Amino acid sequence: MKRSELLSRILVITGIIIAIGAPLYFWTSTPLIRARMPENGGWSPNVVHANVGEPLRLKLTSDDVVHGFAVGLMDMQSVDILPGKVTEVTLTFDKPGIYTYYCTRWCGPNHWRMRGTIEVNGSPSDPEPALSEVERVPLYVSLNLDIDAPHDAPVVPAQKPSAIRGQELIPNSPFLQSSDYYRSNSPYQAFNDLSNISLTEPQRWDVIAYLWQSNITPESLANGKRLYAQNCAACHGENGAGDGVFADDLAKKGESSMQTMEGAMEMMMQAPVDFTDPKRMLGASPALLQGKILRGGMGTGMPMWGSIFTEEQIWDLIAYIYSFQFEYQGAIP
Amino acid sequence: MAFAPLPVPTATPQARTFQIDAGQFAYSPSELQVKPGDTVTLELVSTDVVHGIYIDDYDLSVEADPGQTQTLTFVADKPGSFRFRCNVTCGAMHPFMIGKLNVGSNNWLYRSIGLAALAVLGVTVSIKQKV
Amino acid sequence: MAKIELTRSSFIKNALKSRYPQLAVFIVMLVGYIFAILAGFIGTPVGSHNFSIVFVWIAWWAILILVAVPFFGRGWCAVCPIPLPGEWLQRGAILTPPDKRPKWLNLRVPKMFRNIWLQNISFLLLALFSSVLLTTPNITGIVLAAMLFAAIGLSAIFERRAFCRYLCPVGGFIGLYSQVAPIELRIKDKQVCVKCKDKPCYRIPAGGNGSSAGYGCPWDVFPGGLTKNTYCGLCLECIRTCPHDNIAVNLRPFSADLAKPSTRMDEAFKAFIMLGSAMIYAGVLLGPWGVFKDAAYNVGASAWFIYTGMFLSIIFGILPGLFTLGLLGTKSNTTLKHRFASLSTALIPLGLMFWVAFSLSFVLINASYILAALSDPLGLGWNLFGTANTAWQPMLTSILAPAQTLALVGGLIWSARTAQKAASEVKVSSIPVIVYCFATTSIMLWLLL
Repeated sequence: MKRSELLSRILVITGIIIAIGAPLYFWTSTPLIRARMPENGGWSPNVVHANVGEPLRLKLTSDDVVHGFAVGLMDMQSVDILPGKVTEVTLTFDKPGIYTYYCTRWCGPNHWRMRGTIEVNGSPSDPEPALSEVERVPLYVSLNLDIDAPHDAPVVPAQKPSAIRGQELIPNSPFLQSSDYYRSNSPYQAFNDLSNISLTEPQRWDVIAYLWQSNITPESLANGKRLYAQNCAACHGENGAGDGVFADDLAKKGESSMQTMEGAMEMMMQAPVDFTDPKRMLGASPALLQGKILRGGMGTGMPMWGSIFTEEQIWDLIAYIYSFQFEYQGAIP
Repeated sequence: MAFAPLPVPTATPQARTFQIDAGQFAYSPSELQVKPGDTVTLELVSTDVVHGIYIDDYDLSVEADPGQTQTLTFVADKPGSFRFRCNVTCGAMHPFMIGKLNVGSNNWLYRSIGLAALAVLGVTVSIKQKV
Repeated sequence: MAKIELTRSSFIKNALKSRYPQLAVFIVMLVGYIFAILAGFIGTPVGSHNFSIVFVWIAWWAILILVAVPFFGRGWCAVCPIPLPGEWLQRGAILTPPDKRPKWLNLRVPKMFRNIWLQNISFLLLALFSSVLLTTPNITGIVLAAMLFAAIGLSAIFERRAFCRYLCPVGGFIGLYSQVAPIELRIKDKQVCVKCKDKPCYRIPAGGNGSSAGYGCPWDVFPGGLTKNTYCGLCLECIRTCPHDNIAVNLRPFSADLAKPSTRMDEAFKAFIMLGSAMIYAGVLLGPWGVFKDAAYNVGASAWFIYTGMFLSIIFGILPGLFTLGLLGTKSNTTLKHRFASLSTALIPLGLMFWVAFSLSFVLINASYILAALSDPLGLGWNLFGTANTAWQPMLTSILAPAQTLALVGGLIWSARTAQKAASEVKVSSIPVIVYCFATTSIMLWLLL
């Protein structure tokens, strides 16, 4: 065989081997966490292992649409995961336990189901107990609230209560101004507790609005607004009216499930709650709302957020949700 | 013919607002009509995943997550017909997620068809002359 | 304007005759092709960031339809990697010419298939699945791999480049459109061929004789009889083989081949397939009508069957039907079939320009993906050339509309003149065809602008 023929054969075969081998090699040696819409499988893998104190380097990519990544109950900025591109994240855990990572950019109606777990082994650097989902018993449990029972307020205001007007009518009952009272009572209950005071009904509602505002800070309201826009508005509506972009899909699913399943009709109703409905909202205490947010909707489309939001974030959200019912002082940034 | 000036009817510019729903892989409405000089506000509502709007030639864009409507306001100072397209990868058919913004009438199209007709006339006349 | 023989320049002649430059290009193309297959299977499923989608349907397609076909005719076929493994195995060598009979079965392709109908069908198959094909990397990987293995398999059974000549979906339209290109490969002196006994430029040596310099034409074309570009793949084998140095590559006026219009029905229908599919793509892919895109993408759904039905009826029914109606008004002593075929050659320059105008749109809009895919071809997070984070940015959108108008109106003028020449050959009026061309051009302008 001539030298040129031999050389050309070697070149061709080498070229083919590299063209096949190089991609395969790099593909198998690059572990990626692939993000897909839940309809297409969600996170893959959806369980990751790590050790306390060791940095966990993750490479994330999206196989379809824009996703995001954050770890619940951890103080971190979420990162975007863009289709076809790789995002690198490094996490370090102080305490062992099971952490939840979740998608932070809406990727379809089942976006909230897109969660995975990080199992962190090892002993913590200080002898504190391992992380648990909620550090102490949530308020609705200690109050023995049935968060699935109806909670309509028998009396509702004729106009939207205003904290600005309420401020001028402050009663001087000290017990109304404790945050425990605020958290454990619905606006209607507080309204009722004020019945012995000589104010008209609309005035009393205004006082309740002011009471509610005095138990929250502008920062928490702003934080709640941001959390609401990112996590709740897609179903509950940008103006809280239960008319978000996924509301129709959820209602349809609810109708079909009502036809095929027996059981409590209230549980199966899937249309997202309308936060502008005074009957429903004024009969709900912050503790009840916290319960709903923590535990989710048990078969409805309402996600459970216990492993994602900190307690502070949930109170902030609740503060914002009441702003659909009450006119607060100052604009919410 | 391509560049001959056409008489342009003058009208007072208005402010126009459109809510555009974006879902995989189309816009609704997908064709918008405004007059030159109008101040146009597009409210982008993404209905399933993150989408965007990029307007050809105007080189303006906006993107929105579901649940967070975003707006884009601009003055439609360039007349003609412009495609707008999704600029956030939103699935397989993303490169073909397209709508049209018509500012005034699509003069370039009419001129082009006129040019084509002239060209055809020219060619047929030259046949007759040769025969 | 006369012909200019390019191979008169000894630099050009030696560059074309030597196997080394072509081999270098072959190796690059083959490695790139195989890499594209791998990228399709194991790279990111996101088309816009996958080497296979970006480099096949944006980069390669742009170069093919905007440069290679209009200016070099079958120039892509000259460097295409698909037939190479099969041909090398068939020959038993990469460079060295034969001194023995070719391997494998070497059967002649049956007469029934010696036309471009199979290529029409294979192109249509790709076209009907195009929405999925253009956007899904693993589908592109499957199609590329299928073509490669089909070529190898056909080379094992049939003689020469059976895949290229009779099956390749791309080759069908490249061949048709190559008739308008300004490059051609032709013999210099007919008498030399008449006196040549062995014709090694075509014959595959039986007993082991034949020219030691090269093989017989892999495209099953007798170079001595070449008058049109349609079936010559510019593989340059005959230039090496001819013992009398009687083969040249010439520069010539555009669309010189259309002065002798073909009267083959398979080619006529190819012209309609290409014209129709350019218009349908412009409407479905570049239009604002989401319902068509959904129908085109959801293969297997009832909407897709309706879409397929409409696609095929436009291409095989409406377009040729209206064309024929126009011809019915003309009287001639040739058959309708003859007139149909020869006048449909007017649609060749028109169809090419339709494809140029359509392709300009999605290429200029999406060319920025090329830089990103170059640096991170598999979506693994690489940044080989520093361009992995190039943002998507449409390019030159202000010249797009003028360029499309120029291409379409230019194509219309070109096709009108082609219609004149073809019509005068069969002594009929060219007006119906010119009107038809004007109507379809106006529709295409409306769809694109």
